[in-house]
Amino acid sequence: MNGFATKAIHGSLLRPEVHGALRPPVYDSVAFEFPDAHQIQLAFEGRKPAHAYSRITNPTVDEFEQRVRLLANALGVIAVSSGMAAISNVIMALAEAGANIVTTRWIFGNTYSLFEQTLKPWGLESRFVDMTDEKALSAAIDSQTRAIYLEVITNPQMQVADIDRVAAIAHERGVPVVLDGTVTTPYLFRSRDHGVDVEVISSTKYISGGATSMGGLILDNGLFDWSRNPKLAPYAKKFGPGTLLAALRRDVYRNAGACQSPHNAFLQTLGLETLSLRIGKSSANTLALAQWLEKQPKVHRVNYPSLASSPYFERAKHLFPLGAGGILTFDLAGREQCFAFQDALHLVRRATNINDNKTLILHPASTIFCEYDGEQKAAMGVRDTMLRLAVGIEDLEDLIEDLERGLAAL
Amino acid sequence: MQVVVNGMTATFEAASLTVAELLEIENVGSPEMVSVQLNGEFVDRANYGSTRLKERDEVDFLYFMGGGA
Repeated sequence: MNGFATKAIHGSLLRPEVHGALRPPVYDSVAFEFPDAHQIQLAFEGRKPAHAYSRITNPTVDEFEQRVRLLANALGVIAVSSGMAAISNVIMALAEAGANIVTTRWIFGNTYSLFEQTLKPWGLESRFVDMTDEKALSAAIDSQTRAIYLEVITNPQMQVADIDRVAAIAHERGVPVVLDGTVTTPYLFRSRDHGVDVEVISSTKYISGGATSMGGLILDNGLFDWSRNPKLAPYAKKFGPGTLLAALRRDVYRNAGACQSPHNAFLQTLGLETLSLRIGKSSANTLALAQWLEKQPKVHRVNYPSLASSPYFERAKHLFPLGAGGILTFDLAGREQCFAFQDALHLVRRATNINDNKTLILHPASTIFCEYDGEQKAAMGVRDTMLRLAVGIEDLEDLIEDLERGLAAL
Repeated sequence: MQVVVNGMTATFEAASLTVAELLEIENVGSPEMVSVQLNGEFVDRANYGSTRLKERDEVDFLYFMGGGA
């Protein structure tokens, strides 16, 4: 069983289903009982692999985690309530007050806000560099650096860093790489093969199977020696390679309470089974639309890593041989034109999500990045002239017809 | 031999056991998700087969994934 789709469908049934159901049930139960007091003691001590309370583990969530683990060839996976929960859990596990992370301003707006507004007052410093500038990256790392954090393809700037080089620089300095792989998933990008230590994913997006449910994933690829992290070193003496997973499960994840609901895990396991079909179609649609948009006189600029005109074209070919996912951005003359374009569309929906089955459009500057002033937006690579198209799996001809409607309104 | 496994004294017919053999005898579930501590020290997975237990050694199986901590 080597193929992604085969593993996604048949992989990792942890134990035989009691009634032989091919679709395992949803264990919508908060608590689980034990045959005797000693067994529950062992479970609480972590000496027995049993479910006790669904904030910590749950059979349906476990099934989802194991399926993802198999697909990504990760050491272990923890499913959480959202992509932001995945990021915040990992950063809180790795860093402490007085420590820093090295990241970039070219990241999702809410992630930037997490670093600068939520975690900064708790004493975490975020150092922002251009991830394509190796000297700046290297210079920003010091003894207090606990992680390098970046996105696989930045949203909405569509930048692709040389992830292998970022990992090499980080590892030379004893620092792990945490990468947001939401827009590629393990189908398009095998983070473990490129030196990424921890991958975080918003499974709300591609994996949920059509925007059915919120969810996040933390994948420990098993590459990093966690005894090098001062905060995790005490755990490393007990857990070795499983240190980060143990620290999350027994501390941050357990105590912060951002668990995934069993019902969402059921939906997302279902979504996982068709992921390769949907992400393939979405990537093909996106490339075709990007190429079509480039030919339109009213479109000033198109950004998509698989476009031959992209500065990241060669890198994207190497990192994403099956396609670069379903997000592109393009620029019109100004904000007014961006709004008029959106309002003329009939099929494409105005909504803030990505990697739905439906194609969605958004003006990032006035929405996700609305809390930042012009200078900040410029530093974040967010232009007032830019629209983000998150391309779904509809028929290409219908999408082009709708975009023609948008351009005709200008 | 006698070994203290997860806090309980267990008696084995064999005069000598490795960590790998103990994992098998104890029928430890999901062994890929368990960390083994021998007398309070982490044992590398690569050394399970070569790490031989002594009389009254204390072995703990600690799950870093499942469990009900």
